[in-house]
Amino acid sequence: MTHFDIDKYAYLKSPFHNFDPRAKVLCFLLLIFSIVLLNDIRVLLIAFISTIILVLISKIPLLFILKRFKWVALFIFAVLVVLPFTVPGENAFYIGFLSVSHSGILLATRVSLKAFSVMLLIFPMLSTMKFVIFIKTLEHFKIPDKLVQMISFIYRYIFVVSNEFQRTLRSVSSRNVGKKTRIFRHHILSNIIGMTLVRSYERGERIRIAMLSRGYNGNMKTLNSFRMTKKDLIKCSIIIIWSISLHVIVLTKILDLARVVNSV
Amino acid sequence: MVHIADGILAPEIWISGFILTGVLLIYTLSKIKIEDVPKISLVASAVFVSSLLYVPLGPSSVHLLFVGLAGILLGLGAFPAVFLAVVLQAFLFQHGGVTTIGINSLTMGLPALISYGIFVVVIKKLSWKKRFVFGGSLAGGIAILLAVLLTSTVLVVTGKEFIGLVVLLVASHIPVIVIETVLVGGITEFLQKVKPEMLVEVKK
Repeated sequence: MTHFDIDKYAYLKSPFHNFDPRAKVLCFLLLIFSIVLLNDIRVLLIAFISTIILVLISKIPLLFILKRFKWVALFIFAVLVVLPFTVPGENAFYIGFLSVSHSGILLATRVSLKAFSVMLLIFPMLSTMKFVIFIKTLEHFKIPDKLVQMISFIYRYIFVVSNEFQRTLRSVSSRNVGKKTRIFRHHILSNIIGMTLVRSYERGERIRIAMLSRGYNGNMKTLNSFRMTKKDLIKCSIIIIWSISLHVIVLTKILDLARVVNSV
Repeated sequence: MVHIADGILAPEIWISGFILTGVLLIYTLSKIKIEDVPKISLVASAVFVSSLLYVPLGPSSVHLLFVGLAGILLGLGAFPAVFLAVVLQAFLFQHGGVTTIGINSLTMGLPALISYGIFVVVIKKLSWKKRFVFGGSLAGGIAILLAVLLTSTVLVVTGKEFIGLVVLLVASHIPVIVIETVLVGGITEFLQKVKPEMLVEVKK
């Protein structure tokens, strides 16, 4: 499945690839939350540009990122199309009989800048390490054991189940159930899904028994151990200072000051 | 498109989303035994993968959710399962948002819990032969309906500007409600025939 290759470029070398995972996740989450809390559209633009710079530093190929933008793009598209027409406010201009409001455009731009920045930030955060390491990182954050266990199982089983799904679909198509015989008649489709559930369930049972017989007791052992270095501290503090200073820019109204100076 | 992306909601709403989700997570996790974790996660990922299916419908296609199915198969475990699915969707597919993980798990997870309740009541109270199809359909359909209603409520509470978006959201999910009502009923019947221990336990 091509969907699940978020860590495809985890082998590259960049300042974010050798960043301590715990610090990396915390710093980027802080930056994400601080960007979402911004409301000034000019500061949002600055933040957006800074996220692009972060992505460029991480060396993740841009094409890879663009390909994964389908969902965000769909959502943003809906926002951009709907909001300018439906938000009441002073009318900026007309397209045919539809009025486009000024505040609608502003709102749509703000929402899309925020959504795109957050989505971009996920790549330097997660694409620069194996997803399994990310799960291991969660253990260090005192997240309940059951939850960490569940996410690590779910992530691994996704591959098992999608293999089972492809097997079922292959066997269906090899029995000539094609478009002409209306594969999507409801009982055929629900039987296909039901059968896949049963197959994955049985395979999962075998995996579980195999794990128990190899001494599984609720802990995953990995060979990675995390170490914070001086470089990590520097990177960490740069990101933290940047996310705070975004809000400082808003609070101190530096951008408005520039305009005042100009008019004087 | 039921997941709300970042940047739309007011901070008060998504922060309270995180708090409520946290409370529900602590409660539901305390009801799960550690031995059941592999089984629950397996069913959760199966439901997750099947929700990536596209069903062709007329000229376009719809993307299924299977929130109700999660409730029927996992019981109370459905809430952590839905929460983790939302987290994975945000991180693996960039679908949804990071700050909205709390509110999205609520709008998807509460319907899963409610559909679990509906299913249990139907199986307990009714005794006719087709009660599994009926219970499954009811749970599957109501779950989506509730999910759409909850998401719309969150958007409307955020601001009047989003009413246009809500109309689009509701309209695009009417076919999903119909399809899932039919499909989840069929899947429940199939599982009851083939592997009844996969369905949630109902004590008579």
